[in-house]
Amino acid sequence: MDEAKLDAQDREPDRRGFLEKLAGWTMTGGLVLAYGTCGVMAARYLYPSRSRGTRWQFVVQASRMGLGDTLIYRSPAGERVTVARQGTTGDALDFIALSSTCPHLGCQVRWEPSHGRFLCPCHNGTFDSRGVATAGPPFQAGQSLARYPLRSENGLLFIDVPLESIATLDEAG
Amino acid sequence: MSALSSWFRARLTVPWDTLRELTNEPVPNHLKHWWFCLGGTPLYLFFVQVATGILLAFSYQPSTRTAYESVRYVTEQADYGWFLRGLHRWAATFMVAAVVLHQMRVYFTGAYRKPREINWIVGMCLLLSTLTLGFTGYSLVYEQLSYWGATVGANLADTVPFVGGFLKRMLLGGDAYDEHTLPRLYVLHAALLPAATIGLVALHVAILRLQGVTEFRCATEPRDAPRFFRLFPDHVLTEITIGLVLMILLAVLATIFPATLGPRADPLSTPEVIKPEWFFYVAFRWLKLFSGTAAVLSLGFVLFVMFAWPFIDGWIRRRKPESELSVWIGIVGVLAILALTVWEASVEH
Repeated sequence: MDEAKLDAQDREPDRRGFLEKLAGWTMTGGLVLAYGTCGVMAARYLYPSRSRGTRWQFVVQASRMGLGDTLIYRSPAGERVTVARQGTTGDALDFIALSSTCPHLGCQVRWEPSHGRFLCPCHNGTFDSRGVATAGPPFQAGQSLARYPLRSENGLLFIDVPLESIATLDEAG
Repeated sequence: MSALSSWFRARLTVPWDTLRELTNEPVPNHLKHWWFCLGGTPLYLFFVQVATGILLAFSYQPSTRTAYESVRYVTEQADYGWFLRGLHRWAATFMVAAVVLHQMRVYFTGAYRKPREINWIVGMCLLLSTLTLGFTGYSLVYEQLSYWGATVGANLADTVPFVGGFLKRMLLGGDAYDEHTLPRLYVLHAALLPAATIGLVALHVAILRLQGVTEFRCATEPRDAPRFFRLFPDHVLTEITIGLVLMILLAVLATIFPATLGPRADPLSTPEVIKPEWFFYVAFRWLKLFSGTAAVLSLGFVLFVMFAWPFIDGWIRRRKPESELSVWIGIVGVLAILALTVWEASVEH
């Protein structure tokens, strides 16, 4: 009986070895796949989801702004947007809406009336009244202040802006 | 005592004598010079940071609505909170300084050369993790300057070619600094980076022990002076002395110049005068001199050269064995860093 068993083992080393290897590799593969799936899920969990997009918001009645007038519009996301009238044709192209976020590294620019320019205090970037960079790193890189799209409907001016950011959360809290 | 000792020895079957022999390695004589003991200093300061950091974490709340208030609580209300925060802040400053000085010592004595290239690279990783710890730690305060510092840092990451956008979004937890940002900075500062630092330090010391400290003889030393002394207790005593002196210094500084708290972060207005922590003055001035991408690419190039320096130096020395180019490049580098730092420190914009 024992001899027969040993004989059987002798005859089947290849099959047995193959099955052992197969089982080993299958289990290793299963482990890698399982932990790999967890890894992919973890990576997806850590990578932030996309922002909630933008929406058209009312700014002002167009006729209330004369040529050269400016106003500071606070977007729902809390950003200060400088809206200025620079023409008199009567449509949205008369207006310009400039972001106050410096395109260089995201600091807030301030308007300096005495110099007629926007200055970014972080790295000394300056912009003219149309948001075009005139000096500093943004000028070297050819970056201008971001413009928000404007639309005029029945004499009302609308702006397309992001909806949520930290500033609104702070105010809510 | 001996009963207790034999109780432990009977239960923990460790070859104690072998262990003692292994750990008590001979230390080259030049380590009696204080200048050569700078490597242990950042490690000591790191322990101070871990201890004070754990205590501060008991009160800190990483959310945009509560972070500033919790730091204010630590600074103004909690018993000895001002002192612990002062210690944490000053130890951070000292740690950056000690890491930089240690690296300068290694550089100018050529201790990075073959076979120690790997440990130089591990050291460079430690420099980066120390700087990132400084950056994330300061960002947690959520005062005006730290908020805008974090914003500038994240947007800087954005300008890195190819992976910039991914880096920025991973750091901020979204497209811009929002309520997901502080928890990320907190996890980085209080969990991931300390864990990485502990691993890197272990590797750094393990490689140092495997290779031994570079042997180095000062010109003023007599020829027949003993070349080694013992780690226990001689060198350990030196390190304890350094630890004591540092503790006194930190306590005095934390008392006389405690950590301050600026105005609360205001995402709608950047302060008139904005500066990062002093150890980022170099990079901040550099950013004013060049446009975003050019500045980031050149900083990246400098970092690459620093990482690869043992190999670049080896290449130079294979061609010109007597070349002292590395010393001159080092001097120019140190002067440039000093000049940019002083420039940034001395002007408002």
